[in-house]
Amino acid sequence: MAGAGAANLLAPAVLFFALGALAGWLKSDLTIPDQVAKTLALYLMLCIGFKGGAEAAASGLSQDLIAAGGLGLGLSFATPFAAYIVLKAFGVLDRLTAAATAAHYGSVSVVTFAAGTEYLRAVEVEFGGYMAAVLALMETPAILAALIIAGARSQKAETRLRPTLWREVFLNGAAVVLIGSFVIGAITGERGMARLDVFVGPLFQGALCLFLLDMGLVASRRLAEAPRLDWRLIAFAIAWPLLSAAAALGASAALGLSLGDATLMAVLAASASYIAAPAAMRIALPKADAGIYLSLSLGVTFPFNLLIGIPLYHAAGRLVFGG
Amino acid sequence: MDLTARVKLEIFVEAHAVGEIERMLEDAGFKGLSVFASLEGAGSHGAWRQTGVDEAGMRLIIAIGSEVSAERALAWLSDYFQSYPGVAAASDVRVLRADRF
Repeated sequence: MAGAGAANLLAPAVLFFALGALAGWLKSDLTIPDQVAKTLALYLMLCIGFKGGAEAAASGLSQDLIAAGGLGLGLSFATPFAAYIVLKAFGVLDRLTAAATAAHYGSVSVVTFAAGTEYLRAVEVEFGGYMAAVLALMETPAILAALIIAGARSQKAETRLRPTLWREVFLNGAAVVLIGSFVIGAITGERGMARLDVFVGPLFQGALCLFLLDMGLVASRRLAEAPRLDWRLIAFAIAWPLLSAAAALGASAALGLSLGDATLMAVLAASASYIAAPAAMRIALPKADAGIYLSLSLGVTFPFNLLIGIPLYHAAGRLVFGG
Repeated sequence: MDLTARVKLEIFVEAHAVGEIERMLEDAGFKGLSVFASLEGAGSHGAWRQTGVDEAGMRLIIAIGSEVSAERALAWLSDYFQSYPGVAAASDVRVLRADRF
């Protein structure tokens, strides 16, 4: 495990993240142009979705896909309720900020998933292509759960922007590209994969490095500009992913998923959203403090998962599965 | 020079609200508007920055119209700002080609 963990820390993608974080911390003028970052994010989602769809088409509609999809939906919907209770128990967050923060920990991070798949490929552990579909399924239920927690009555003004909210929840650009690419990958299968092989294959690692360089910059600047975070919230942002990953591994084992699928399920459960959930929370719960939930998900949980979490969840999976 | 008095609104809001505010300005009687993307700034919640993936970004909407239209828009905005972040400023301006405002 120590060897795999050290190898993860020395992977190019992780080192580029560290470079970005260092540059941000030292207040370097390094920046990735906004539109480039957005294009890279779309490219990564296209690759993940397309490859996942093509692989799912090759393996067909399996029982594992249904089990993993059901588990993902359940985890995404249930997590915010449990996270909300814990966050409220700390007594440092108001109700709406606690609900919005809980939504982030139920929803998922595409880039953490991408880093997880690259890690598994590096240690030669197989996983189902359909996990990309599970990723897409897990984005939204957590947002709906947060709206239930917050209660519709408390957000009178939100009514006016409800069409915008539902559009953001179900038709945000990330979801459209991810799900759309999955469907295209599933329709075109091996023929499509042969045509896009170079675009979605060898170039992916380089794009991930460039994107993580930007994420390092964003994460360190976000943390530096964050309001002084209570130590209990920082502890939550590290301990909660560990608990979620453990729950996901246990449930995956009970459902008979493979080690690779279970590890990715743990990565998804442990990850915190920083694209889809913040966008929805800004519309649905505008009184919630974005400085808190973004700083925790992007400044604490994302680096933790990238540097330590992913190899740790894989190692824990090996213990559970006896691999 | 034939200059006519009008009111200029500068409305600073989150990106998701732009569509709703554009519709409101049209209903209030404004004949046109311009939307600008912002880079970074600071306000009552501290500094913020447009950083690519994690920020929805802020938008500056500028519209010029009659005093009546501006009052309607400001009444709507004062209700909107009860729930959502943002600021608005109104100033008296003089314009050429008044029929366009």
